[in-house]
Amino acid sequence: MKIELDHLTKNFGEFTAVDHISLAMNNGVYGLLGVNGAGKTTLMRMLCTLLRPTEGTIYCNGRDIWEMDSEYRSLLGYLPQEFGFYPEFSVQDYLLYIAALKGIRPVVAKKRVKELLVKVGLAKAAAHKMKKLSGGMKRRAGIAQAMLNDPQILILDEPTAGLDPNERIRFRNLISELAEERLVLLSTHIVSDVEYIANEIWMMQEGRIVHQGTAKKIIDSMPEAVWECMVEKRMVSVFAKKYKISNMKTDQDGAILRIISQGKPCEQAKRAEATLEDVFLYYFGEKAGDENDTI
Amino acid sequence: MCFYIILEKKQVMKMIRYEVKKVFSKTGGKIALLMLTGMLILVCFLTVKSVEYVDEQGVSRSGIAAARRLREDKNKWAGEITEDVLIEVLQKNREINASKEYQSTDYRENDKAYARKQGFSDIRDMINHAFTAFREYDYYRVDSVTDEEVGSFYERRIAGLNDWLYSEEAKDIYSEEEKEFLLTKYQELKTPFYYEYADGWKAFSEYAPTLIMLTVLILGFPVSGIFANEIQLKADAIFFSAKLGRNKAVLSKIGAGILMITGIYWVMVLLYSAVVFAILGTGGAGCAIQTGLGGWKSFYHITYLQEYLLIIFGGYLGSLFMLTLAMFLSASTRSAILAVTVPFVLLFIPSFLNDISALSKVLGLLPDQLLQMGQAAAFFNLYHPGGKVTGALPIIMTLYPILFAAMLPVLYHVYRKTQIQ
Repeated sequence: MKIELDHLTKNFGEFTAVDHISLAMNNGVYGLLGVNGAGKTTLMRMLCTLLRPTEGTIYCNGRDIWEMDSEYRSLLGYLPQEFGFYPEFSVQDYLLYIAALKGIRPVVAKKRVKELLVKVGLAKAAAHKMKKLSGGMKRRAGIAQAMLNDPQILILDEPTAGLDPNERIRFRNLISELAEERLVLLSTHIVSDVEYIANEIWMMQEGRIVHQGTAKKIIDSMPEAVWECMVEKRMVSVFAKKYKISNMKTDQDGAILRIISQGKPCEQAKRAEATLEDVFLYYFGEKAGDENDTI
Repeated sequence: MCFYIILEKKQVMKMIRYEVKKVFSKTGGKIALLMLTGMLILVCFLTVKSVEYVDEQGVSRSGIAAARRLREDKNKWAGEITEDVLIEVLQKNREINASKEYQSTDYRENDKAYARKQGFSDIRDMINHAFTAFREYDYYRVDSVTDEEVGSFYERRIAGLNDWLYSEEAKDIYSEEEKEFLLTKYQELKTPFYYEYADGWKAFSEYAPTLIMLTVLILGFPVSGIFANEIQLKADAIFFSAKLGRNKAVLSKIGAGILMITGIYWVMVLLYSAVVFAILGTGGAGCAIQTGLGGWKSFYHITYLQEYLLIIFGGYLGSLFMLTLAMFLSASTRSAILAVTVPFVLLFIPSFLNDISALSKVLGLLPDQLLQMGQAAAFFNLYHPGGKVTGALPIIMTLYPILFAAMLPVLYHVYRKTQIQ
């Protein structure tokens, strides 16, 4: 499976959400990282044929996905960021309906739904109405619907958003399990999710892919170093003005700062190993972590 | 190949079932069904109640027994309305008018007199119509019609029209060709009329528009949601990214809409027909509509049975058109609220414009006419398609199936091209 983006561009009036992206993806997990408004969702929606590009196109194994139409969509599994469902449907009915939308024969669909309900841990809730499910259960139903057609391309937009830590870890593991032998594109602004699962990371900013590669490669690409030092609490604001602070932990004795800086920020500072979160903060600065992420 | 087609059909049918389930699993859908049931019961009650029989004691009754007795009384006058029959009616009327019950100032006594008149009340009404001016109605005109002049009963119907067409009121409304058309239609109507009790058909014709219009208005709510709800529930991303999301799933939505309109419309209309005809009877199916008060002036040569068919099939066509238009608006604007207003606008705007005579020709072709074919058959709206004069009914019965059929591919195309931003 090979997906190629060829000068992919999407404008909304004057605003360019995706700006001439050219990339190729093969089987594996790709993590799309970016602040809110970077264009992640727009890019994913184009990959799901939900939006037509203003310029450029997307190829699947060398064929234009818009020309492939339903043939392309038969390869696709998609979990959108805002997972809408039919509140009065039971989980089983919901999945059977989506199976019908995916053109799965009823006999096969029944079997597949049963398997997936077990896999995502919803077997006991099969008869429950969708509206009665907890946030985590809804997300699991969401991943189950995306997997119904055993897709070769799995696109997950913020799949762990709003989940509690336990659910997030379960969900992450589930995605890793499902990621074998297919192309998975995962968008998130939770850096640790991508760090754990993705083979390759794309960092997106203002509609462009600004960095790409493995987590290590991206971390190594950061030209500055990471330092840790303890300072007096009153000095925190002074350091904050001067440096990028990726983390701060306060206790009775003062504040332990994690500082991104080329040179040693203070005498007692010690070099620390850079993480993807440091890199994220370094590249995306103060905008990192905004909640509004629909563009 | 054959197996594949069957499989595809099965899948579409399955999707249609889920679409219908989506609509009726919601509280709004359930409320709509309850409202339809309540409305059906109410309209059946009003229809049956509208046919009254006044017994010998002057007491009004309605229901199965009352309808049976009224039928017996009226069917004593069943047959062709010849001059002899008309004279007999006049004599009988005079005889009752001379009775002490009729002369009394006590209305209960008057009702007793009416009880003796109700068997020939329909023929009495026709005489009133024939012997008063075309645009008027005098309930007591029959009392002054003489045995000698009643023989001109059928000629008076035509003469009444002729006088009106050339009166100050109407002379400029119709062209000579149109006047000729109307007069010819009147002259061509087969006389003498055959008469028998037909109150079941008349009551149906009177109340069916109420039932059909309310059905369309209520159905507008669930039907408008078929396309817009996908977007409102934010389920559109998964819907359109699925293999069949931009082809068969869209077809299944259209199919579900048409199935819901068709199923509910026919259940309502056929249940209503069954109740009305079971209680009021089906006698008089072959009588011309001109034998009733509502159809006397009509230039359409149809029987009550034909009028019934026109009402139910016209209503179906109107429902299909209006509600598909609502679906179209729902698909193109993604708003169920806007879509739900379509039937209201199409039904109520024409009634506000009714008084503007300059618009009568346009109003005669609007889709609300399809929901009230009984009344539409009584209107004098004339058109010239292909240079030939004709009434509104053949035009709307041809125009709206074409518009409905043309709307379907547009609806399909609009919805399948939906982009999710």
